[in-house]
Amino acid sequence: MKNETAEERRTLVRETIAELLEVDVATVRGDCLLREDLGMDSLTSLELLSTLSRELQVDLEMEEAMEIVTVDDTVRFVERHLAV
Amino acid sequence: MIGATGFIGLNVVDALQARGVSVRATWRKKSITVFAQKRNPEWCLAELDDTVALEEAMRGCDVVFFAGGHYPRYSLDRRASIERGRADVRAVCTAAMHADVPRVVYTSSIGTLDGSVAGPVNADDRTVDPPRESVYRATKWAMEEEVDFALARGLDVVTVLPGACLGPWDVRLGTTGVLVALLNGALPWWVDGIVNVADVRDVAAVHVAAAEVAPRGARYAFGGVTTTMRALFEDLARRWGVRFPPEELDVAAAYIRADVEEAAAAPRRGRVPMPRELVDLVAWGRRVDSSRAALELGVVARDRETTLEDARQWLERMGHVPRRAEATAVRSRNSAESTRGASAHAGSRKR
Repeated sequence: MKNETAEERRTLVRETIAELLEVDVATVRGDCLLREDLGMDSLTSLELLSTLSRELQVDLEMEEAMEIVTVDDTVRFVERHLAV
Repeated sequence: MIGATGFIGLNVVDALQARGVSVRATWRKKSITVFAQKRNPEWCLAELDDTVALEEAMRGCDVVFFAGGHYPRYSLDRRASIERGRADVRAVCTAAMHADVPRVVYTSSIGTLDGSVAGPVNADDRTVDPPRESVYRATKWAMEEEVDFALARGLDVVTVLPGACLGPWDVRLGTTGVLVALLNGALPWWVDGIVNVADVRDVAAVHVAAAEVAPRGARYAFGGVTTTMRALFEDLARRWGVRFPPEELDVAAAYIRADVEEAAAAPRRGRVPMPRELVDLVAWGRRVDSSRAALELGVVARDRETTLEDARQWLERMGHVPRRAEATAVRSRNSAESTRGASAHAGSRKR
């Protein structure tokens, strides 16, 4: 999974969010606010991070995760951890 | 460990690893695994309806801890909840028998116990029929009946019946959700009655000791500290300087309110501040006799202060409630603004 391209990882993030929230992936745009626009609660945020950490095989710190606000933040968060 | 990603499960994993035990943990596709990953168990993907995967995961284990059975987060569909709970226990027990597991430690609830007996209830006070008034209690009762069937088929099972658990790692905000609501000033109503508040780490210790020394078929109720909701909220309001929840309801009104709020929250998978299963446990309201766990397993409840403070620290760390310095600053700012507002108001009146 670490060898996937940035675009593939971005797609994975959007698809994972769409699946967890049971919404059309087209509605999950990069600038969407996870809570306000997509209605994601803290529990779903944890499910999202759990799924991403398994899929991308990265170790995530929860304190950092709390700073994620948008879909693009989530992608950047993943990229940062993959770069380590 | 089935349920290693949940509240009790994470604490049981900690207790086991502290004793040098290596842990194999099952996970489901919807599991919140980020916390359990830090414990680095040996992972096995196994949904609870997949007896083949469960059996594979269990093979070679000395003990299977089953803390991941159905937890009815909503009390809206009694039949479906009971059926799912039964199916979960049947699948795990069947897999354990096929895998020749020497022992299963099953996590139940004090809510299965008989509320009509005189004096404190213990783990042997069981009812013939499932509780009528509570989906949560009826589900847990039915799940215990499935454990009885497995015992009759020869499986070695020990059952732990914890009270309302508080402490660190309540990932899905079960009982600890009440603390979150209280600390955020978002607990609009409450209901009074006896509650048994157990520190989840003590409950984990009961599980581990039960695995090691309990006789086959033994049952251990662990209520922790017995108090009332009123006393608990008064203590918390005083201790943490938060507002005492404004509206006290009687049990009948609390049932209705909890049902209405859960029906509204369920479509978006939301959690309500005072869930129906907590109202059910308060309405059941019995003092739990935990002496068997103390005498046979050597586990006694730690003081309530430690439990509450550690629970709050974890909630702060997770961002569920404001950190104490922030909370104090907000209160000071509000107080200052309120004073300024009062002065301005007084000033305008003078004019």
